[in-house]
Amino acid sequence: MGAFSRIPQLIVYGIISGSIISLGGIGVSLTYSILGFSNFAHGDIMALGAYICLGVFALFTGLGLGNTPIGPLSFGFSFALSFVLALALTALAVIVIDRILFKRLRKAGSIILMMASIGLALGLRNILQFFWGPQPHYYIEKIQVASIIPGLGIRIKPDQVFIIILAVALVVLVHCFLQYTKMGKAMRASADNIALARVTGINTDRVILWTWVIGGALAATAGILAGIENKFITPELGWQMLLSVFAAVILGGLGNPYGAILGGMIIGLSEEVSTAFISTGYKPAVAFAIMIIMLLVKPTGLLGRRK
Amino acid sequence: MEVLHEVSVKLDAGEIVTIIGPNGAGKSTLMKTIFGLLKPTGGKILFDEKNITGLPPDRIVRLGMAYVPQVDNVFPSLTAQENLEMGAFILTRDFSDRMDDIYGLFPLLKERRRQRVGKMSGGERQMVAMGRALMLNPKLILLDEPSAALAPNLAAMIFDRIAAINQTGVAILIVEQNAKESLKLSDRGYVLASGRNRFEDTGKNLLTNKEIGELYLGG
Amino acid sequence: MMEQFIGVINYIVFFAITAGTYGILSLGLNVQWGFAGLFNIGIAGFYALGAYTAALISGPPPSAWDGRMVGGFELPFIVGLLAAAAVCGIVAFLIGIPTLRLRAEYLAIATIGIAEIIRLVLKNESWLTNGVWGLQQIPSPLYNPIRSGVTGFLQVHSDWPAWVHSLLSRSYNWFYLLLVIGILFALYLIMQRLVRSPWGRVIKAIREDEDVAAMSGKNTFSFKIQALVLGAMIMGIGGSLYAHYARFISPSSFKPLYGTFLVWVMLVLGGSGNNKGAILGSFVVWGIWAGTDFLTGYLPFTASQAASLRIIFIGILLEVILLWRPQGLLQRERRFPKYLRPRADDK
Repeated sequence: MGAFSRIPQLIVYGIISGSIISLGGIGVSLTYSILGFSNFAHGDIMALGAYICLGVFALFTGLGLGNTPIGPLSFGFSFALSFVLALALTALAVIVIDRILFKRLRKAGSIILMMASIGLALGLRNILQFFWGPQPHYYIEKIQVASIIPGLGIRIKPDQVFIIILAVALVVLVHCFLQYTKMGKAMRASADNIALARVTGINTDRVILWTWVIGGALAATAGILAGIENKFITPELGWQMLLSVFAAVILGGLGNPYGAILGGMIIGLSEEVSTAFISTGYKPAVAFAIMIIMLLVKPTGLLGRRK
Repeated sequence: MEVLHEVSVKLDAGEIVTIIGPNGAGKSTLMKTIFGLLKPTGGKILFDEKNITGLPPDRIVRLGMAYVPQVDNVFPSLTAQENLEMGAFILTRDFSDRMDDIYGLFPLLKERRRQRVGKMSGGERQMVAMGRALMLNPKLILLDEPSAALAPNLAAMIFDRIAAINQTGVAILIVEQNAKESLKLSDRGYVLASGRNRFEDTGKNLLTNKEIGELYLGG
Repeated sequence: MMEQFIGVINYIVFFAITAGTYGILSLGLNVQWGFAGLFNIGIAGFYALGAYTAALISGPPPSAWDGRMVGGFELPFIVGLLAAAAVCGIVAFLIGIPTLRLRAEYLAIATIGIAEIIRLVLKNESWLTNGVWGLQQIPSPLYNPIRSGVTGFLQVHSDWPAWVHSLLSRSYNWFYLLLVIGILFALYLIMQRLVRSPWGRVIKAIREDEDVAAMSGKNTFSFKIQALVLGAMIMGIGGSLYAHYARFISPSSFKPLYGTFLVWVMLVLGGSGNNKGAILGSFVVWGIWAGTDFLTGYLPFTASQAASLRIIFIGILLEVILLWRPQGLLQRERRFPKYLRPRADDK
C-alpha cells in the first residue's frame, strides 16, 4: 500500500516532533513533582520563548549583527545568540510569574493552581497576540535543501539533524544535572517529598527556583525548535502543543521526567506515523486516544508516577 | 482544635527521654511543635537557652536539632548515600568524615549505600532516616516512633543503634508506642495522655511502676 | 432619540439572552465544580456539541449548497434541546470513566482533549457538520407564529407611531428572552432542590473529603460520574438555546475562550458552590466583557489588539479573584443549612 511506503519518512518526522514534545514534557513533570500541580500554561510558555527569540533576533538584525549561516544550518551566529538569550529571558519571566502568582497560591491547593495556570495561559497567549498579531510569523526564511539518505528513502534537513542532536544533548545535560549535582539531587528529593526536604534543611525555595529555570528554559527551547521545524509560529502554538505534551507526560508517568522523554517520543512518532492513515488534522486525536488508553490500562504511566 | 493542654517537657544535654502514652495523646503533635512544624498557641520552647518558639524547621535545623518523622522519613528514589548527602545539604565544606562516622554507626548502610532506598526493608530505611538526621552533628534528635511497623528483632536493632548514637553525646527525645524497649535505655520518661502530662520519672522507675505498666505498657 | 432608545432596548435584550445562556452554562459547571469538585476545562466542547446537536435535530435538511449528507430532521425545539442534553451526557460519561478515579488533572486534560476533538470533528467532518461553513437557518421556536401575530397586530394598528412599530418588530427576541430566563429559572430551582437533597449532600461530602465519604460506604465514583453527566447535560441545553438564537453556528463560534474560560471566571467570581452565585457571576462577567468591548473601541488599537486586551483583562481579573477572594462573591452552599447543622454537643 502507498501509505506504508511513507512510514520511514514519517518516523523521521516523528523523532523530531517527539524530541520537541519531550523537551516540553520534562518541564511539566518537574513542575508537577516538585510544585505539586500541572501547569497548563506550559504550552504558552513555549510560545513565549519562541516569540522572545524572534523579537531578540529582529533586534539583532536591526543592529546589523551578522547571521551568515553556520555550516549547513539555515541560521547563523546572531540567531544562535538570540536562542540563548531567549532561554535566559524566558526563565526570568517564569521566575517573575512564580513570584507574582504561583508563590502566593502554593497553600491554596493544586486545583486553584491549575486554574491560575489556565488564566495565565490565556493571558500569555494574548500578550503575544497583542504585540505580534494573530498572523503567522516566519522564523527562518531560507529554504533548506534536504539531504537524501539512500537505501532508506528518507530525506532529512541539516536543521532537523540539529534539532535532534540538541534535544539529545539537553536531555543528557538534564540527566547529569539531576543525578550528579547537589541541586539536582535536592530536586529529586523534593520531588519525592518536599515536606521532608524542608525538614532535612534543604533550601526548598532555591529548589523551586531551579525547577522554574530548567522548566522555562526547556519550554523555550521546545518552542524555538518548533518554530525552526514548522518554519512559522503563531500565538496559538502553545495551546496546540499542550495536549500532545500532556499526553506524553501522562503516558510516561506524571511527575517522572524520564517518563516525559519516553512518552514524548512515543507520542511524536505515533502522531506522525498516523498521518499515513488518517488526516493530519487529527494528530491531536491520536495523542488523546493514546492517553485515554493509558489511563484505562495503567494510570501511573509507563515508568510510574513520582507521588 | 487544641491537642495539647499545658504540656511541659525538659531534656538535658546527652539525655535520652521517652514520651509514652495512648494513641491520640498528642505525642507526635508535641514533637512537631518542638521542631517548628506546628505553632503553639501559648508557652515557650527553649533550646540551648535560645527561644526557638515559632521558628521554622529550616532555622531550627541550623541550630542543632534534627527530626525523624514516623512515616515518609526517607527519599525513596535516592540512594542511601544520596539521602545522607541531603542531610548535609546546608554544609558547604567537605563532609566525607562525617559520612564515615555515620557508616561507622550503621555498617549495614555502608554496604547498601548505592541502593535506592525505596527498595530497602523497613529496618534499613529507618537507619537511613536516622543517619540522615545525624549528618549535621545535631545536639538533639527527635525520633517519632522509630520502631513502629518493625518486627521485634529489627526494633531491638534500632534501639541498639539509638543507644549507640546517644553514646556519641547526642540527646535523644523519643516518642514511642513500644514503650518497654524505649524506656529500658531512657534516662527519664514522661507519660502523656489526652494532651496533658500525667506522669514523670526515671526510665527504670516507669518500667517497674505497676500502674503505668497496666495502663500504658500493655501489662 | 427614539431610535437610540430602541437601540438600547434591543441591546439589553440581546445582553440578557446571552448572559442568561451563560448563566445556564455556569449552573452546569456549578454542579461539576461547585458541588462535586470536578475540574472541567472543556466547557466549550459541550457547548458546541449541544448547539450542533440541536441544530442538526431541529434544523433543515442539507441543501444544495451544503457539504452535508445527513441530519436536519426539522424536529421540534424541545426534541433538539433534549437530544443536546443527551449527547452531552453521553460524552461526559465516556470521559468520566477513565478519569474520575484519578487526580483532578486527569479529568482536566481529558476535557481539554475532548473539546479539541469535538472542534476537529466539527471542522473536518463536513458530511455531518458542513465543516467551517457551519449550519444555517436554524429555526427559532415559535418564530413564525409570533412573527405573523406581531405583523398582523401592527397592520391592524398601522396608525401607531413609527417608533412603536420599530420597537415591536424585534419583539420575537423578547419572547426568546423569556424562554431563556424561564429555562434558567427552572434549572435554578431544580439545582437548588438537588443540592439540598440527600444526593446533593453526598456530592458535597465527596468534594470535601472523598476518602471519608468512601468509608461511609458510598460509591464515590458513581456519584462523581452523575455530577459530571448532569452538569454536561445542562451545558448542552445552553448550547441548544444558543443555536436557536444565533440561527447560524460554525466551529469558530465556540473558541475555548468563550465557552470555557469566561464561564470559569463567571463561576469563580459569583461563588463556586452557589447557584445564585453562578447566575450572578454570569451577568456580572458578561457585563464586564461587554463593557470592555465599548471601552477598547475608544483606544487607538487594532481590532485584534483590542480583543487581546480584553482577554488579558479578564485573565487578570481571574488571577486577582484567586489571589484575594477565591470563594467568590456569594458563599458556598453549606452541607447543612445553619439551623440544621449538628452542634458540637450533639452526639
